[in-house]
Amino acid sequence: MRIGFITAGLVLVCSIPAIAQDRPWQETTSALGRTAEQPNGVLSKEALQALTEIGNELFDARFTSLDGAGRPRATQAIIPTKSGNRTVAGFARTSGPDSNACSSCHNDPVSGGAGDFVTNVFVGEGFSEFDFDSADPQFSNERGTNHLFGAGLIELLAREMTQELQGLRAAAVRSAREAGQDTRVALDTKGVNFGWITATPDGFVLLEELDGIDTDLVIRPFSQKGVMTSLRQFTVNAMNHHHGMQAQERFGSRWTDETDFDEDGYADEMSEGDIAALVAWQATLPAPVRDTRDNPDWQKAAEAGEELFGAMGCGGCHMQALPLRSLAFADPGPFDSAGTLNALQVAEAAIYDLALLDWSRSLSRNEKGEFMVPLYGDLKRHNMTDSEVDAFGNELLSQRFVDRTIFATTELWGIGSTAPYGHRNDMTTLDEVIRAHGGSGRNARDAYVAATSDEQSQLIAFLKSLVIVQ
Amino acid sequence: MTHHFPTTLLTAWTLVLAGVLPAVAVGPFAADVPDMLEQAEAAGLEQVYDGPWEYFVGGGAASFDCNGDRMPDLLIAGGENPAKLFVNRSKAGGALAFAQLDLANLPDKDKTRVLGAYPVNIDNDAFMDVVLLRLGANIILKGQGECKFEKANDSFSFDGGKAWTTGFSAIWEPDQSFPTLAFGNYVDRSMPGSPWGTCHDNVLARPAVNADKPDYSNLTALSPGFCSLSLMFTDWNNSGEPALRIANDRQYYRGGQEQLWQVPPGKAPREYSTRDGWRQVVIWGMGIAEADLNGDGMPEYALTSMGDTKLQSLDPEADEDQPIYRDIAFELGATAHRPYIGDDIKPSTGWHSQFADVNNDAVTDLFIAKGNVEAMTDFAKDDPDNLLLGRRDGTFSEQGDAAGIALPTKGRGAVVEDFNADGMMDLLVVNRSQNVSLFRNLGARTDWGHRPTGNWIKIELQGEGANPSAIGAKIQVKTGNLTQNRTVEIGGGHASGQNGFVHVGLGVAERAAIRIKWPNGDWSQSIRAFANNHVVIRQGATTPIYWFPPEE
Repeated sequence: MRIGFITAGLVLVCSIPAIAQDRPWQETTSALGRTAEQPNGVLSKEALQALTEIGNELFDARFTSLDGAGRPRATQAIIPTKSGNRTVAGFARTSGPDSNACSSCHNDPVSGGAGDFVTNVFVGEGFSEFDFDSADPQFSNERGTNHLFGAGLIELLAREMTQELQGLRAAAVRSAREAGQDTRVALDTKGVNFGWITATPDGFVLLEELDGIDTDLVIRPFSQKGVMTSLRQFTVNAMNHHHGMQAQERFGSRWTDETDFDEDGYADEMSEGDIAALVAWQATLPAPVRDTRDNPDWQKAAEAGEELFGAMGCGGCHMQALPLRSLAFADPGPFDSAGTLNALQVAEAAIYDLALLDWSRSLSRNEKGEFMVPLYGDLKRHNMTDSEVDAFGNELLSQRFVDRTIFATTELWGIGSTAPYGHRNDMTTLDEVIRAHGGSGRNARDAYVAATSDEQSQLIAFLKSLVIVQ
Repeated sequence: MTHHFPTTLLTAWTLVLAGVLPAVAVGPFAADVPDMLEQAEAAGLEQVYDGPWEYFVGGGAASFDCNGDRMPDLLIAGGENPAKLFVNRSKAGGALAFAQLDLANLPDKDKTRVLGAYPVNIDNDAFMDVVLLRLGANIILKGQGECKFEKANDSFSFDGGKAWTTGFSAIWEPDQSFPTLAFGNYVDRSMPGSPWGTCHDNVLARPAVNADKPDYSNLTALSPGFCSLSLMFTDWNNSGEPALRIANDRQYYRGGQEQLWQVPPGKAPREYSTRDGWRQVVIWGMGIAEADLNGDGMPEYALTSMGDTKLQSLDPEADEDQPIYRDIAFELGATAHRPYIGDDIKPSTGWHSQFADVNNDAVTDLFIAKGNVEAMTDFAKDDPDNLLLGRRDGTFSEQGDAAGIALPTKGRGAVVEDFNADGMMDLLVVNRSQNVSLFRNLGARTDWGHRPTGNWIKIELQGEGANPSAIGAKIQVKTGNLTQNRTVEIGGGHASGQNGFVHVGLGVAERAAIRIKWPNGDWSQSIRAFANNHVVIRQGATTPIYWFPPEE
């Protein structure tokens, strides 16, 4: 292993035997490097369990400077970016690195969960003004920490939907070319409509009618804005941003001509195998469930609330369930681009069959045999403000081509375990966050506001029953 | 004058220029090396450029879309052999495939004696035209669609002359409906004492003012000529007024040098001289390529020659109207002065040069076609083409052998282009006395196959009114702190030119913000596009239009 010493500003890097490994008092993360390389092929239940245990250790690990934590010469940007002549502080609560472990924030109610207001992160591009030390929204968007339970199913849904949408596009282009006339098709997948596209005979695709999705028709299901394609992409981003742990697959010499891009004396801090273990653990986290703790009053109220949920129109965006054809989670996945390991970059992806996991048996199936994923979401973006209800319009910066008032539908599964609410985690009750829905959520919100207090209570009872298993 | 350097290059360039850093980066080349598989014959390309002494030079190709499918087709010079037209039948990401088409409306005598070809839409219609550079009368082929052409010398009032033409460039001057054409001429064989010291003047063909169709009846001699082998209009100082840069062959001129001509709109051209700061450079100038390597808005130039390739950068201390250049080829490891494989250490002979990002790492690379003139014993006999891959510190690393392009051919003209619309740049090399080479870029080789290189975007500009291809437009592609600049141009290289999508490698960026400075000086808004796509940007538009190539 490569160990760095900093003496009077002089960074020394040398190789020493791994004498510190696996001692109880060691100050390095023993799980790092334990996954020697990116797995491949279908993993058995035992192999998957072994991998996820390592991933769990890495998720909970408080990375140390001896692991390579910190990024003195690199910013938090998702594109490897040098800090120039400025040194990035070891920790900065605003611009980062801002935490020791993934679970420092993702911990409510258990590791992999959400976090309360204190775990908010400050999302900026990290290019020119990367070292802001203010929560002023002109520098960053302040965001709450999302939970990761069921994230593997979410990503699988997004992949199938992306594949279907891009298939519709390809068919439209082909049809237009063959017919010699425009072909307009609805972008419908899994019951969600993303508008329309029109293909022309010369191969153009007109996108004026696109709705709630990026122009490349890739569904990016993660983050409040829906700008992250995969757990893998998010993990690589977050490891650098929050911990200064840089993944070789983006910060390594292939793309940066350096093995120690952040110049902290540690080369290739996270291997493809390390990232794979983290992805495997996150992807296999159980889906949230409905639970009223055997309380008949709660159960009764929740059932009534579920009816109201539909009647008020909440389910238009917070769709109860989306059908999923396969539980085989491939890592790396098919839709990441260079800089995040993807399916085209490896000989064979690893397959984590979620059907091997006990919790997956609770997933119901539809008449086609598809697994119904009870996410209460649509994996689509919506405008969440209007001139009268604008509480969600509190950001100044757009993010990755997504305007400031547009957000991805929050999946409501697990919401009973993850107060507070809203993209800034600054709404303490469900009542507040429902009332904050403007724009595309306005009609449902108005229906809630117009409902009786009993009905409102029943709706809350329903939402509170959507919990993370502890 | 302020020069802006991208963060990633600033330190290295500054230190290199200050003489602090070693000339060339140390450490193994770690970025992707594209595996370039030669498959001309399998792809249906058979064309040999050949002929006696007059065809020791030339050997070019034009790459452009002749049938409206946006896939790059090829017109390849043959010297004594007839020029050939090949339509691109490749599918997206598939094997390269071409089919020869007849240049049906062109008499056989006009198909021969062709040294080079450049595409340019002279009459602003829907079809690309082609200029054939010939030993004797040059020819303008007017595109008619479906890869049909007709000779337009008469209808464009264009006298093709009798010279030995080896270079071409075109630009739309302000308020002109049609392009100004520049022709670079080589040795005047009719002069006493030829070939020594008998260089032909070059020619500037400006369109008649206020004419409703191209009228090139008024030709201007650019004298003195110094046996040009390449020329290009280039906005060398980012002033918005392109000048004409000319590479000249010292083999035959006497008292000559490399040239830069000021071409002020509506006024007579004027050659820059030592009074302007222009420094005499005497080389066997054979090809010109430009790229803004340091992101300061002013292009660097790769000048091929026999022996050292020159890589010229504007002196940062020079005033903005002073074309004072310094050679940074040695500092950046781009001299490419002798073969990089084999035991022959005699000097190389460089021809076509072209910048492109062939491994999509967001760092510009340099291709140079190499090959002995014919049997010059003082120069390398086996002289492989160069693929100088750019590194993050601004230097270059020769990877031609690893990429698989080091063939025992005599390269001349070339086209670096994405022939199968997979975002990875392929390569056509026109060889003297041998079939062309066509290399398909398969991506990076691994022990299990090939993996794609980095992200990319390809941009087609559609200008309003005249100049529909937006020749002269500048494209800025911003990803993070990196801004990559491209110029839409026709000219340079060696007898070879192309028109179509402009390719930009994006590395690990999954999206880009694009700004266009249109030829009329208007800047576009920032236009957002996702990586790994072909986009068309129309003048005045605020969003791109995505284009999808034909699939299998």
